[in-house]
Amino acid sequence: MASKVRKYDRSSRLVSTVIVTLIGLVFVLPLLWMLSASLQINGDIFKYPFTWIPKAPRWVNYADIWNSGEVPLVQMYRNSLFIVIFTNLGVLFVSLLAAYAFARLEFKGKGIVFGLFIGVMMIPSQVTVVPRFLLFRELNIYNTLWAVILPGLFSVTSIFLMRQFFMTIPVSLSESAFLDGAGHFRILMQIMLPLLKPTVASLVIMNFVSCWNDYFNPLVFLPSKKWYTVSLGIQYYYTQEVPSTNLTMAMSVCAILPVLILFFSCQRFFIESITSSGVKG
Amino acid sequence: MKRRQDTLTAWLFLAPAIIIFLVLIVYPIGMSGYASFTKWKFTSGLKGMKWYGFKNYVNIFKDLNFKAAIRNTFLYVVVTVPISIILSLIFAFLLNNKVYMAKTLRLFYFIPYIANAVAIATLFSTWFRNDGMVNNILSFFSKDPVGLKWMSDKALCKIPVMFMLVWTSLGYLIIIYMGALQNVSTDLYEAAEIDGASKTQQFLHITFPMVSQTTFYLLIIRMIAVFKVFVSVNVMSMKSPAKWNTSIMVEVYSAAFSSMQFGKACAEAWILVLIVLFFTAVQFVGQKKWVHY
Repeated sequence: MASKVRKYDRSSRLVSTVIVTLIGLVFVLPLLWMLSASLQINGDIFKYPFTWIPKAPRWVNYADIWNSGEVPLVQMYRNSLFIVIFTNLGVLFVSLLAAYAFARLEFKGKGIVFGLFIGVMMIPSQVTVVPRFLLFRELNIYNTLWAVILPGLFSVTSIFLMRQFFMTIPVSLSESAFLDGAGHFRILMQIMLPLLKPTVASLVIMNFVSCWNDYFNPLVFLPSKKWYTVSLGIQYYYTQEVPSTNLTMAMSVCAILPVLILFFSCQRFFIESITSSGVKG
Repeated sequence: MKRRQDTLTAWLFLAPAIIIFLVLIVYPIGMSGYASFTKWKFTSGLKGMKWYGFKNYVNIFKDLNFKAAIRNTFLYVVVTVPISIILSLIFAFLLNNKVYMAKTLRLFYFIPYIANAVAIATLFSTWFRNDGMVNNILSFFSKDPVGLKWMSDKALCKIPVMFMLVWTSLGYLIIIYMGALQNVSTDLYEAAEIDGASKTQQFLHITFPMVSQTTFYLLIIRMIAVFKVFVSVNVMSMKSPAKWNTSIMVEVYSAAFSSMQFGKACAEAWILVLIVLFFTAVQFVGQKKWVHY
């Protein structure tokens, strides 16, 4: 009897696996198509039936976009990376200090400031785009990468998650350092920060993905081709008058690849960052 | 003494956050609130702001494009949010211990979620072309070649947008649901099994109520995200002159940066905010009926 049940379980499990795998394949199929199309000549892509594995893969498509005249991919990578790196460093620094103050320091108005931070988060950032546009023009940072970086430096999610973490660290740990004469800044940097590594890793991943994939802010604030980010680059290829689908797809592959590499190299942190916050709205 | 030092340190530590918060969030919110009551062409500069009362708010509801945008956005929310939630719950249910290699398999669903949305949108624009993959696949199932105009037809062009909204959202929802499902005690299923409940009954009467808190959270997250939909619509409508699939955010963007009517753009953005806040509040009130704590 028992063995019969187990056998039944195993076969139903196998059926479920097959179903889930098939649906999962449907999910990655468009991406495989993207990869395949990026290695063909334009004329072949819309032939019926579609050739999934090109006989002579045209890797030259990638070389073409890498240093194409007007918007070389290498430059877009550089711009996107610059934004990602400085946003990440900045947001970590800002959030670390603020979270420490909220979790470990006593001062008047703490509740009010924290409440304001959380409350204003309810209002979608989309309403701020027009005033930000004008402000950045006044400050002469419109059409520079800083126009995309600066608004990213304040993140309630980062502050909140770090604060939560600080509150789990026993006060006695920093107390002894305090008695030894260390200031709050040193306690934060030398005692707390090393303990915070996993949270920092999750936040860095989360910010990396959302900055890298951001489209709205670069679209509004970076009109010059020399500041194009990877997201804008895809759009550039897509909107050409004579569209080259193969190059658009090559560009798309290049936009997705860095995030995938990051994903596969640190899956554990990735899932953690997803479950603790969420990469995009 | 220590207390006073603490206060000083605290404000110093908070200073960077507060400065950015005030300059880049609070000030722009106030400014955009004010601007929504003014008539204001960008070309005339700050001095060109003229008090306009509620006229922007009245006018945008006479604007055919904006009315279409509101209708479409609601359509996107009403159609895609339930589909995303239901599909992801089913997949998470299947993936949770019921299949081999669940961890590897969930990656398949997860990749669309972290992939660049512009890349996905251009990909689907290509797939939904008259001679694209979607029609090819459909032709496989019918006698005559299928030539549906997915990208340019007034009604059909909303489908690629909705397809992308569902496709890209599932990965996140599945991961969250899988976590929630793992917290459901197996005793409940064993008890139900003994009482002779079928798998479907177990799903409806145990799984669904036990994850209702998660469902509620995900419902709100997805609803807000879809109300703000921009990338998929903007990219997919780039090549067609008539933007039948337009959304509220696309209208905000084009009012601000194509026709440079900042007052109108701000008013439209505030309508979006009010819609989002209103429906979030409605959800919070409605949850009492179906969320189990």
